[in-house]
Amino acid sequence: MSALGQSLPRPDARDKVTGDARYPGDRFPPDVLFAFIVFTDQPHARITRLDTAAAEAAEGVVAVVTAADVPVNEYGLTMFDQPVLIGPTSSGRSAVPHDVSRWEADHLAVVIAETEEQARSAAALIESDWEALPLVADIDAALADGAPLVHPEHPAQSNAYHHLVITKGDVATAFERADVVIEGTYELPYQEHAYLQPEAGVAYVDEEGRITVEVAGQWTHEDQEQIAHALDLDLDAVRVIYPPIGGAFGGREDMSLQIVLALAVRKLNERGIDRPVRSQWSREESIVGHHKRHRGRVHTRWAATKDGVLLGVEATSHLDAGSYNYTSNKVLGNLHLTVAGPYEVPNAQLDSYAVYTNAVPGGAFRGFGGPQGCFVSETQMNRLAAALHLDPVEVRRRNVLGEGSIGITSTPLPAGVSLPEVIEECAIEADWEAPPRPPAAIGAFASLPPTTEASRRGRGFACAYKNIGFSFGFPERSVADIVLHGSDDADARPTSAELYLAGADVGQGAHLAFLQMAAEATGLDVEAITPGFSDTATSGDSGSASASRLSWMTGNAILGAAEEAEKAWRDGDRPARGHFRYTPPPTEMLDPDGRTPTTPNFAYGYVAEAVDLSVDVETGHIVVHDVVCAIDVGRIINPQQVTGQIEGAVIQAHGYCLSENLVVIDGRVMNPRFSGYLIPGIGDIPEQVRSVMLEIPDPRGPFGVRGMAEMPLMPYAPAIVGALYDATGVWFDSFPLTPPRVRAVLRAAGVGAS
Amino acid sequence: MKYYAPATIEEAIGVLTSEPGTRVFAGATDVVPQMRSGRDLGPGLIDLKKIERLSAVTRQDDMWVIGAAVPAAQLTANADLSHDLPGVVEAAGLIGSDQVQSRSSLGGNVCNASPAADSVPALVAAGARAVIASGDGTRTILVEELPVGPGRTSLAPGEFVVEFEIDRPAGATADAYLRLIPRTEMDIAVVGAGVQLTMDGGTCTSARIALGAVAPTVVRVPDAEAAIVGTTLDDAALAAASAAASAACNPIDDKRGTIAYRQHVAGVLTKRAIGIAADRAQNPGTANGSTH
Repeated sequence: MSALGQSLPRPDARDKVTGDARYPGDRFPPDVLFAFIVFTDQPHARITRLDTAAAEAAEGVVAVVTAADVPVNEYGLTMFDQPVLIGPTSSGRSAVPHDVSRWEADHLAVVIAETEEQARSAAALIESDWEALPLVADIDAALADGAPLVHPEHPAQSNAYHHLVITKGDVATAFERADVVIEGTYELPYQEHAYLQPEAGVAYVDEEGRITVEVAGQWTHEDQEQIAHALDLDLDAVRVIYPPIGGAFGGREDMSLQIVLALAVRKLNERGIDRPVRSQWSREESIVGHHKRHRGRVHTRWAATKDGVLLGVEATSHLDAGSYNYTSNKVLGNLHLTVAGPYEVPNAQLDSYAVYTNAVPGGAFRGFGGPQGCFVSETQMNRLAAALHLDPVEVRRRNVLGEGSIGITSTPLPAGVSLPEVIEECAIEADWEAPPRPPAAIGAFASLPPTTEASRRGRGFACAYKNIGFSFGFPERSVADIVLHGSDDADARPTSAELYLAGADVGQGAHLAFLQMAAEATGLDVEAITPGFSDTATSGDSGSASASRLSWMTGNAILGAAEEAEKAWRDGDRPARGHFRYTPPPTEMLDPDGRTPTTPNFAYGYVAEAVDLSVDVETGHIVVHDVVCAIDVGRIINPQQVTGQIEGAVIQAHGYCLSENLVVIDGRVMNPRFSGYLIPGIGDIPEQVRSVMLEIPDPRGPFGVRGMAEMPLMPYAPAIVGALYDATGVWFDSFPLTPPRVRAVLRAAGVGAS
Repeated sequence: MKYYAPATIEEAIGVLTSEPGTRVFAGATDVVPQMRSGRDLGPGLIDLKKIERLSAVTRQDDMWVIGAAVPAAQLTANADLSHDLPGVVEAAGLIGSDQVQSRSSLGGNVCNASPAADSVPALVAAGARAVIASGDGTRTILVEELPVGPGRTSLAPGEFVVEFEIDRPAGATADAYLRLIPRTEMDIAVVGAGVQLTMDGGTCTSARIALGAVAPTVVRVPDAEAAIVGTTLDDAALAAASAAASAACNPIDDKRGTIAYRQHVAGVLTKRAIGIAADRAQNPGTANGSTH
């Protein structure tokens, strides 16, 4: 029986359910010290004095690490624009000024003490003087005439430091020829990752003398590189291990404790102290201290014929990158490719900007710019349908990208475009052609009893495409190693294997998927394969757990490694070793004028969703009765895990769309607690989510696999807004759709009691 | 900090008198978070749960007597109480979560004096009285006289609430409580509305209406009461009550709701709670309006 398509039980499930799993915060090696990371609490200020003497003299304190201790005081995933520690003195080997705090959660010092309480108390004794710098609170402030620069050292010499352009065809003529123009300005909110496990880690010097950090991240080898760069060490001198990870969703793609924990161990080492160090953030520190899904604003105009065929798209988009780039330039790219929708657009002028401010950095979060672009494109498409009295599914049929279609960057999409099939399947499962449902009473969702008088019901539809794997020429690769064991007999088949991969299991079940693919590739049972995962000392670089890429990329690496091992086996090697580094077809950067045809991605995933909801027009409460999510996953490795990803993404999208309202004012997160930042509870989520999986093989995917974990998050918010229009006749151009916001917009439109 | 667990009211008063600054508590669902947040709670805490009278619920001929320390879960499980005072019980059943309700008490909810306390508008609408003990004996006041501002009550030093007395509804009388939060559970009221009314042949003959979370303390709304008394609860009367409730609000603007939203919702909830209470008054024994 094939190992694929089986809902095999997760090897880690029992430990996680019983509490036996030891997450980074559960690790207390003997003699361990605590490292407390002190935030500057300064959204924009220059430090003129730092005195740690009193803290160092405090009871239980072993050492205090400051900027002066950082060999190369800079880091960043795609550009080194952030100091590791802010301080008046530094080694000087950094491209970014080290004496300016640009974010309330910039790191000032690391206090290492015998206990957490001692470290926290001593931190209060650190003295610092600051010279205030003008605050750049948000996009409007950043773009204002004469706005102060958040990064005066950046060559762009503008807060709008990263600009992407697509110029396609003749957009001016397209608008002249248009029968209908749909124009909108959309405000897009932040989202907090809200993973169960706040940032935590433990660091020590291992038996081979390597500075070793056990932490929850998304890319072991990138963490290793960032640590080695800041500490000015060879890669081999640094080791990164991922224990069980309590969720990530993109929020662990950038550094949190990684570098500072390594610095702490190094400082202790210099003093001849050989003791491990642990650290853990509180929930408040986690919410304040790591990046968010970008807030932003998009202004756009769509031109179409009276039959609903798109003629042209104009869009100007701004994302609030916050105080440091993180992955904003890449997230922007994804917004750029999705803002005109998964449609054939003959003429386009798209301008997208990442903007530095003194707010919390924007960065990776499931969908990576796609949810923002998709909200705009799908709301525009639904508005186009409404304006022409066309069905939302029908208007998509007339525009959707298909096999051989030319994409927004003027090149054909990679083979295997299945969005037309996905849209049809979604419409069928949702019984889209059926007559509207009767109004439903809103029940316990609103903590209010049902009332039919104020209830309105509606349905909405949206679809999306999203890249699989790294885009825009970023070097994409994945390494796997397989070792086959068995009898020396020349005719024997292997009886067991070892599999080495670094890919992170962030809770999505990646490691079981790796084992199932390796079993399929080697012909062995899953139980016969011994895993060696997520340790830079034993695995090659598998790339990050992001961009819906892990199954796709590692699957191809596993297939290559299995083939190599099989060759060695046939040559009589015992054990037989196979090493393989898979590289997908190359991708390209956009050129600065945006006219040259480019291929930014090597693969895409396709999804469509239909939702059915009721809204209480007097209170603004929304209850979602039914969600149909149809997605082409290419080939199902583990059905239960695919279902988990679909349902999880829909629920995460539900929070993004309806309740999660992060308030950031003057560079400070105002609600860093779950009592004020409302993620959905069990009573708040959709009453039903129906996962519909298509298996149209990706020609380049391993076994036909497509990436799928981000896509179901994307169409949800615009489908909800479409359904709200269906229910009330009112469009929403911003969210989250909290009851006060819904009520205010309905009131302004004269819907519901005044 | 010291922990006291007196077995009698007199013993509790003795500690309060001899150890100035000590505080009483019941379920500790507010006290524990206050401790965790580093607030100074004084030299000692007095656990009132061991005092029998504070943990008793009794039905007398004309009234219910509910001990100040009785956990909410005991109230929601009491079918007789739910039959007589469904609004009070549904308010108790909205405090915190199921876990919190196994500890949280009406006494604590009232004396913590949060403007958003769920039980207060329901108790006020039901005309509840608080029996207060001190070294001078006991005195009885209306519940609406207890909170005087956020976190402040009219209790004098050395006093604590022993129990609540609530008249059993006579004739076609019933109460209801509605609370709006952004989510389904585990949140603090944006607005709460408690209503008790009496119907006679389709006409409302008396009403008490109280709102929570729309001002520093619970708000009685006499204008809304006047708007429905003597009417058949027709649309015009309901609209007038709704408008009066909105006008009586003096709310804050925060992340849970704007001033305009709270004012509006106060009117909506008042209208709906009147409808539920009237249904219950005219159709006794039905479960109409249950929130769960």
